[in-house]
Amino acid sequence: MRRGRGRATVVRVDNDRCELYGICVAEAPEVFRLSDNRLRHGRRIDPADEIAVAAAARNCPMQAIRLRESAR
Amino acid sequence: MTVERIVVVGAGAAGFRAAERLRQLGFDGEVVMIGDEPRKPYHRPAVCKALLCGSRKARDVTLEAAVELDVGWRLGTRAIGLDTARHAVLLPGGEEVGYDGLILATGGYPRSLPGAPRHDPRVRVLRTVEDAEGVQAALRTSRLPAVVVGGGFIGCEFAASMRAMGREVIVVNNSAKLLHRFGDAIADAAGDLHAGHRVDTRSNARIRKWDTGRDGVGLHLDNGDVVFAACVVLAVGSTPSVEWLRGSGLRVDDGVFCEPTLFAAGVDDVAVAGDIARWPNLRFDPVPRRVEHWITAVEGGRAAAENLLAGKWAAKPFTPLPRAWTSQFDVRVQHVGMPALATDTVPLDAGVTGFVRAGNLVAVATWDRPHAMLDWTATLDRLLPVPTAGRRPRARPPRDGIPARVLIERHYASRHSFDGPNGIMTGQ
Ligand SMILES: Cc1cc2nc3c(=O)[nH]c(=O)nc-3n(C[C@H](O)[C@H](O)[C@H](O)COP(=O)(O)OP(=O)(O)OC[C@H]3O[C@@H](n4cnc5c(N)ncnc54)[C@H](O)[C@@H]3O)c2cc1C
Repeated sequence: MRRGRGRATVVRVDNDRCELYGICVAEAPEVFRLSDNRLRHGRRIDPADEIAVAAAARNCPMQAIRLRESAR
Repeated sequence: MTVERIVVVGAGAAGFRAAERLRQLGFDGEVVMIGDEPRKPYHRPAVCKALLCGSRKARDVTLEAAVELDVGWRLGTRAIGLDTARHAVLLPGGEEVGYDGLILATGGYPRSLPGAPRHDPRVRVLRTVEDAEGVQAALRTSRLPAVVVGGGFIGCEFAASMRAMGREVIVVNNSAKLLHRFGDAIADAAGDLHAGHRVDTRSNARIRKWDTGRDGVGLHLDNGDVVFAACVVLAVGSTPSVEWLRGSGLRVDDGVFCEPTLFAAGVDDVAVAGDIARWPNLRFDPVPRRVEHWITAVEGGRAAAENLLAGKWAAKPFTPLPRAWTSQFDVRVQHVGMPALATDTVPLDAGVTGFVRAGNLVAVATWDRPHAMLDWTATLDRLLPVPTAGRRPRARPPRDGIPARVLIERHYASRHSFDGPNGIMTGQ
């Protein structure tokens, strides 16, 4: 994923869909964390974590993770 | 090889992620995607869950690409043959689509049962969006219970979906337990869970005879029972969609025979991914096998695209730790590794079962323990390392088996000092 300066990837999780399987945590432990009955995650992604976050999104069993670009 | 056109056959998870990966890697030739379903790729696991219950519509489960795909779609189009000598995919009506590179990802079809009256619209399988709609229509024909034949993943999820919809449901299972492939602990828990939700399970049952009356479908079981159903779903496993490849020059036999890199054996311009790929996963041994799980299809599609572009001699082996999940009512059942290889199971913790082959842990399954699954996935990744290039793995002989107790001790000793499971499962 190439992008111009000043852009960032923003993560959104649909909590209605998420069932806390933790696949995203395995793929991107720097970004996602399971705590008790919630998925916690960063919103704006460090460029170093983008590849891992993309893997989390495509492998999510509930397809609950959306990534989009926004201005920083 | 100058690659101008890559053709992908099969527009499921594997084909879609393959096309996406080609574009991510900068392939700027033509990509043609041939799929026999009428719609763009969607999240197939939802078919027996949210789509069936009606809590999601087809448009809610369409897969989203991470980049512009710029694909030539040939949906509703079935590939009927392949000529590897002429590098062409054959379509109905005599049409041919030539390729410089080809990715095969035609997935699987649900098996039928000998004697099942499939001409009756109330006797169905579950694979596609249309199948889910067909089951819903059949359920509306009467208030009789739904019946599912098969007590595996899909059978159990179907039963849970029926209860969520307020329907009575009967599971006709030819084994002693539901989810029996997960070991006794999980199978017993699944049995209790389903019984608690008033799923009527008939174990060790075989169907002797079918009746298709006006008011319902009758199934005569071998213990003398007769059950009547508004709708019967056959969930007795699946078989790879490879009939169309007979005579293509590829080796087709329970899937397409592949090299460790997912290249089809014997050719250098065809890669294979998803449920039809029968390849040796060098993490485990040199035996080619198929894996029928969604995450493996997603990552396999990507690996096939990467390797096709890299070329056969630069290609890397595809060595995932297969992962799968199923939801049973509110319970998350997950596994990692290859449970089917095991000759034995060991309890590792509450809700955690280890699968052992010749003293080696080859898989772990968990009953509603996602944290434990994360830890065990990291542990299994270390116990089953990806062999380094050039060194083929031994077909692990039954040597000094690691006793389960040692496995458990090692696991707990190390669980707070992981290197970090970054990217390990996907083999990127
Ligand atoms: C109802 C159901 C629920 C499931 N739930 C889970 C789950 O919870 N967890 C899990 O890990 N796995 C689950 N699976 C398994 C998972 O969906 C598969 O492993 C995955 O879809 C395989 O992806 P694929 O791309 O190889 O094949 P598919 O998704 O099957 O896609 C192949 C596509 O190719 C098409 N095709 C076939 N032949 C041709 C041809 N000759 N020409 C053109 N197109 C063709 C097919 O119609 C299909 O659209 C489930 C499967 C089903 C059926």
